[in-house]
Amino acid sequence: MTNLVKSRLIKFLLSLIIVSIAVLIIIFNLRDNIIYFYGPTELLKNSDKQGQIIRLGGLVSVSSVQNESDSIFYFSITDGDNKIDVKYEGILPNLFAEDKGVVVEGVYMNDGRFIANKVLAKHDENYMPPEVIETLKKSGKWQGE
Amino acid sequence: MSLYIFYISNFLLLLCLTASVIQSSKIINNKIFTRPGVITLAYVQLISILLTFLILIYLFLISDFNFDLVYFNSHSEKPLIYKFSGVWGNHEGSMLLWILILVLFNFLFALSRGISERFKEITVAVQSIMIFGFVAFLVFLSNPFALNQNNFFDGIGLNPILQDPLLAIHPPVLYIGYVGFSLVFSLAIAGLITKEVDQQWASIVKPWVFSAWAFLTAGIALGSFWAYYELGWGGYWFWDPVENASLMPWIAATALIHCVLILQKRNVMQSWTIILAILTFSLSLVGTFLVRSGILNSVHTFASDPGRGLFILLFIFLILVFSFSLFAYNFEKINKTSSMGLISRGTGIQVNNWLLITILTIVFLGTMYPLATDLLLNKSLTVGPKYYSTTIAPIIILFLFFMFISPRLGWTDTKLYKIIIQMRYLIITSLTITLIISLYFELFNLTETLIIFFSLLLIISSMTASINFNKQNILVRTNLGQNLAHAGFGILMMAVVSNAVYSEERIYNAKVGDNLQLQKYIFSFDKIEQVEESNYNSLKAYFLMKKDGKLIDTFTPEIRFYSNPPTITSESSILHKFFSDIYLVMNVPQDQQSISVRMHIKPFMTILWLGTLMIIIGGIISASIRIGRLNEK
Repeated sequence: MTNLVKSRLIKFLLSLIIVSIAVLIIIFNLRDNIIYFYGPTELLKNSDKQGQIIRLGGLVSVSSVQNESDSIFYFSITDGDNKIDVKYEGILPNLFAEDKGVVVEGVYMNDGRFIANKVLAKHDENYMPPEVIETLKKSGKWQGE
Repeated sequence: MSLYIFYISNFLLLLCLTASVIQSSKIINNKIFTRPGVITLAYVQLISILLTFLILIYLFLISDFNFDLVYFNSHSEKPLIYKFSGVWGNHEGSMLLWILILVLFNFLFALSRGISERFKEITVAVQSIMIFGFVAFLVFLSNPFALNQNNFFDGIGLNPILQDPLLAIHPPVLYIGYVGFSLVFSLAIAGLITKEVDQQWASIVKPWVFSAWAFLTAGIALGSFWAYYELGWGGYWFWDPVENASLMPWIAATALIHCVLILQKRNVMQSWTIILAILTFSLSLVGTFLVRSGILNSVHTFASDPGRGLFILLFIFLILVFSFSLFAYNFEKINKTSSMGLISRGTGIQVNNWLLITILTIVFLGTMYPLATDLLLNKSLTVGPKYYSTTIAPIIILFLFFMFISPRLGWTDTKLYKIIIQMRYLIITSLTITLIISLYFELFNLTETLIIFFSLLLIISSMTASINFNKQNILVRTNLGQNLAHAGFGILMMAVVSNAVYSEERIYNAKVGDNLQLQKYIFSFDKIEQVEESNYNSLKAYFLMKKDGKLIDTFTPEIRFYSNPPTITSESSILHKFFSDIYLVMNVPQDQQSISVRMHIKPFMTILWLGTLMIIIGGIISASIRIGRLNEK
């Protein structure tokens, strides 16, 4: 091996190592920050998700919304088959209403309750989050096209 | 009448198609189509598309609901400006706008002087192939002039959240940025074909790439500013897929403009510059069309149609395959081996190029990963914003360091310690200010402190550099843009970090007469009114902001009820002060007696926009100085 080839090989291997380390760091960081989406039925099956930050979506069950104080709300999210009780502290978006689609982000607790820290705002009255449509289709409750 | 318009506009589009075919044929040095010339054809391309676009505007203004596009996206009672901006608030219209800009760049380049005839012909030919592709797509797959058989009395209306003056200009500005890179791409391909990627090539490319970059920056900033006051979440950047889609070409373009500079000065890095030019344009295509295709699930997705995404993916794929094969075939002929000193300005820029590519990879992975899992594993997930901030922040520290040091180094080998000695006062000053800031605000996070330190170093050094050069008239002209943009970037980074650390939020449920507190301010809920506007009704609340019993300002957050289409939006009320914004937004959830008010203190927002503005102006100065020089030759 000539010197030129040698030095090129060393440069190549060195940059390969640096690039792989960088990619590994990025991927590990990515894995730590992934937020999975579940429908109620799916979430009940995945009880190992307790304690992690996840998103839950479905319809707000009819006559389930209650508020304890000024800004603490209780409601449940359903896909028609199962429902999960949610506690949320904060402002509900304008378009939040019973029997409408909703996506919340928060932690699924060991006692089966969902503590939400975000209710994702939607802009349009007829808009249904694609994940919720998917969820409703899975439970056979979807009535749109 | 409508039928005539249908025929005329489609005829114009076909005319543009024909002109583009002839124009593209000049890519091979043929003798068949020497006439009409490049410029004549460019006129035909521009005028036909311009007329088509004007016809579409006319249809929206007179609300001709015989056309599907007008029916679905407009309403007779909408204010004039939103009838106008409704033209590009949808897929077909925005495609036509995109094509108009594509043709416009083609035209402007065809008219520019001091470029060899053959090189111009090839560039325009490449550009015309793209024009052909997009016009064909418009005519056959998303025709804006599709007619319907029903006599609709009125239209459905434009999504109310898009009914905002800023959003009327945001898409055109963003598109000028995106499409500007199409010309840079054509120039890169022409350079590959003629095998002349040299200093002269760089000086031809420079004004175009700088102006496209400045427009893209402005477009992103406008979108971010809109999200800040309209979405009502108090944030200006959410690491949302659509935002990332516009950020990715920006990052690539930022690397590109610096490479073009090195190429012009030192005649090195030819291949890398070409790769970046291709990458930037591909990412611009991804940026425009992933947003429009509906593949991305985002807060910003309004007009979407999954079917069309396929065409765009195919198109991007073809562009990549074609340009990289050409590159692989020719790259050895364009590369000239010349060396730069190890510790030199060029090396610094190269390092930052790699850092930019790393950031690009991070954003790309974060944006595409959810798409991939959704398509391949049928599993929905999102990537939290924390992924971006924690991964990118350490890179930004290095990036700021090299931004500070590189312009101080010469193009040939420089002694690093000499520079540091030269900069000693500057370093001491920045260190002192950082120390004061971190002690005063109790900021002991290493990453954040380092970002503030290097930002300060960058800001001060860039500003003093432009003052120093003032005595020698010539230097100030070439460096003003650079120093302004660099200082602006430092200011932006400082503002971003301080804003993230010191933002404060309070939520109240309020009834009229309540007094709410946020830091040292008292907000008294004075009254609530119903207001009727032409296109919506609104609930307007009045909050009197007082400090030490004195009235400072009145806040009027609103909730608007639009009927066409039925939607509710919250309008924030913001007081912009130099050092912080005070931000109020309210919601009225159903089944509730009081209203919910969210109040934010957002420090350094004005400074953040100021930094962004400096970057944009810097880009414009760099672009225009180069254009001026080119004309002198």
